[in-house]
Amino acid sequence: MSTPVIFDPMTLPSDDNVNAYTFCVELKGSRWFLQKGKMIAYYGQIDFNGVGHGRFERLIRTSFHSPLHASDWVVAEGSGKMLLADRAFDVNSFDLEDGNLTIRSGNLLAYQPTLALKQSIVPGFLTLIGTGKFVAASNGPVVFMEPPLRVDPQALVGWADCPSPCHHYDHGYMTGVMGGLRSLTGIGGTSGEEHQFEFVGAGTVLLQSTELLMPEQATGAVPHEPGVPGGGRPGGGGQHGSTPRMPGQLGDIQRRFGL
Amino acid sequence: MPFREINSKMVEAVVGPGQKMYSQRGAMLAYRGDVSFTPNIQGGQGGLGSMIGRRVAGEATPLMTVEGSGTVMFGHGGHHIQVIDLSGDTLCVEADRLLAFDGTLQQGTLFMGSQGGVMGMVRGQVTGQGLFTTTLKGHGSVAVMAHGGVIELPITPGRPVHVDPQAYVAHHGDVTNKLSTALGWRDMVGRGSGEAFQLELSGSGAVYVQASEEKL
Amino acid sequence: MFRLQGSKTLAVDLTGDAVKAKNGSMVAYDGQMAFKKMSGGGEGLRGMVTRRLTGEQMVMMEVKGQGTCYFADRASEINLVSLHGETLYVEASNLLATDAGLRTGTSFTGLRGGASGNGLFTTTVEGTGQAAIMSDGSAVVLRVTPQYPLNVDPGAYIAHQGRLQQHFQSGVNFRTIMGEGSGESFQIRFEGDGLVYVQPSERNTVGGDV
Repeated sequence: MSTPVIFDPMTLPSDDNVNAYTFCVELKGSRWFLQKGKMIAYYGQIDFNGVGHGRFERLIRTSFHSPLHASDWVVAEGSGKMLLADRAFDVNSFDLEDGNLTIRSGNLLAYQPTLALKQSIVPGFLTLIGTGKFVAASNGPVVFMEPPLRVDPQALVGWADCPSPCHHYDHGYMTGVMGGLRSLTGIGGTSGEEHQFEFVGAGTVLLQSTELLMPEQATGAVPHEPGVPGGGRPGGGGQHGSTPRMPGQLGDIQRRFGL
Repeated sequence: MPFREINSKMVEAVVGPGQKMYSQRGAMLAYRGDVSFTPNIQGGQGGLGSMIGRRVAGEATPLMTVEGSGTVMFGHGGHHIQVIDLSGDTLCVEADRLLAFDGTLQQGTLFMGSQGGVMGMVRGQVTGQGLFTTTLKGHGSVAVMAHGGVIELPITPGRPVHVDPQAYVAHHGDVTNKLSTALGWRDMVGRGSGEAFQLELSGSGAVYVQASEEKL
Repeated sequence: MFRLQGSKTLAVDLTGDAVKAKNGSMVAYDGQMAFKKMSGGGEGLRGMVTRRLTGEQMVMMEVKGQGTCYFADRASEINLVSLHGETLYVEASNLLATDAGLRTGTSFTGLRGGASGNGLFTTTVEGTGQAAIMSDGSAVVLRVTPQYPLNVDPGAYIAHQGRLQQHFQSGVNFRTIMGEGSGESFQIRFEGDGLVYVQPSERNTVGGDV
């Protein structure tokens, strides 16, 4: 039986993992942005204040669509050592040096104010730009891979430096007579792998082992202007977002014969 | 082809032309190369007979065939994965715990109810799995999921191991199983310790137990 | 006697003696074991009254026999604590098993418990022996000394031991009322000398969203 390591303010690491699920941030009169409710303990004198929730700030929130005002961010300010964690998910810190990284909103836990937080063109993702440290939570340790790669949408955590992914649809098994039968009758169901995100180029893709997503954090509404993907008038987006017909979507034959 | 563990929740397998692999539908996380995923009507080998057997059992094993040329990463729901290598023996595993396995393994179903009559029925209800379990036999690798990872407990003749049915994941070797009860009249009246039903495994082999009583 | 098999399973070697464990947490055993349900809160009349008052959910069973018994609960991480005549305070839902020689009881934690949604009572484990506590994710053990008091989110608190005073801190101020709360308004402040166990996750707390 091994005695667990006991930490005190001297032995807690600064800005590093304590264990796979807990991260320690050292504040020396500085500040960090973090998601509401993710601080579990701290030594020293630290103040926590909400961002963008006061009555007046709500006015700003509706005029600007920045993620900082859409979701529940908190500013931690003061001196001491603070422990962060999120529902026993794996947490890891990453350093960006004049770089950019796009991450799913639900996976971003905390970041230094030197980084700028922006909404990504891909809905549900946030982009961090600049130089600084940030902490991400994931279901299981994050795996880094390099393109070319196709990823199950639910396994994607984020990507750095490479261009945004495209949608890839795979219906190879639907060709031929058997394929035709499958799509008409819905027999055999689907493989569950019809749709993936495809990455090409130079960069890194971050994956997690899950088909269960962490709850989405609001990233802010996209302004309804023509030309903005996801926000344009219906019809303006064309094929964007509409998934092709899946087998068993099914049972066209059934519908035809009124069964 | 063997599975390589990337981390405790993700495994990687290389698929080559002519080789086939079966995995649970939707378990693919990412892949490189030219790989196709085809839903499997019969759920593996066994043909019509096994399909009927499965329907009777009410056990759906939604599998897909993975073939082509490339590398595939598997994982599901963030559950821990254990890779078990078989060298000729048989592995019995709960169907919904199977993540992926070599196409060269022979797949079948084992009727657990046959051992113990009424007790078998009861066991089926207790584990909630239905009366059938999937068997895999041959030489190859199997990736199994569990909530929180598994511990492997050896079974030796004369030292049978008792397992909480809800924590049971799989077993291999020459093992017989039966449902045993530690029922006293108190348990009947509903004030028992909650350990009333146990799965007793005896013989020679190993059983994989998960650190939880949750169904996946 | 208590050992960890991996980080989520507790293995206990018994030679005719007994352990107390959370009801239903046995996952496997070899040899001969008998399981008996026990009532929580303590023995006798006082125990019964305590249970009524607290509505305490701590349900333990006694396991006795020869062989090795394996315990686990919802894949939670397990930490072993050795007690030498002291008292360990632990959230009832976080206690997995104790040596049969340790005395378990309940203690009134006062208003902190009510507002944090953790219940008004906490379980105490007293004596000399080993106890196993569980956490959602590997727990972190933090030392509290007179110069370094510690603030903890109530939902992350699992257990503590030593000579510690707890104060329930409420950071409700003008801003909180204006709806600009930080989500960290309720905290427990520990002062004195001792150890606090925290888990990297928050149980639901009533005050959590303020």
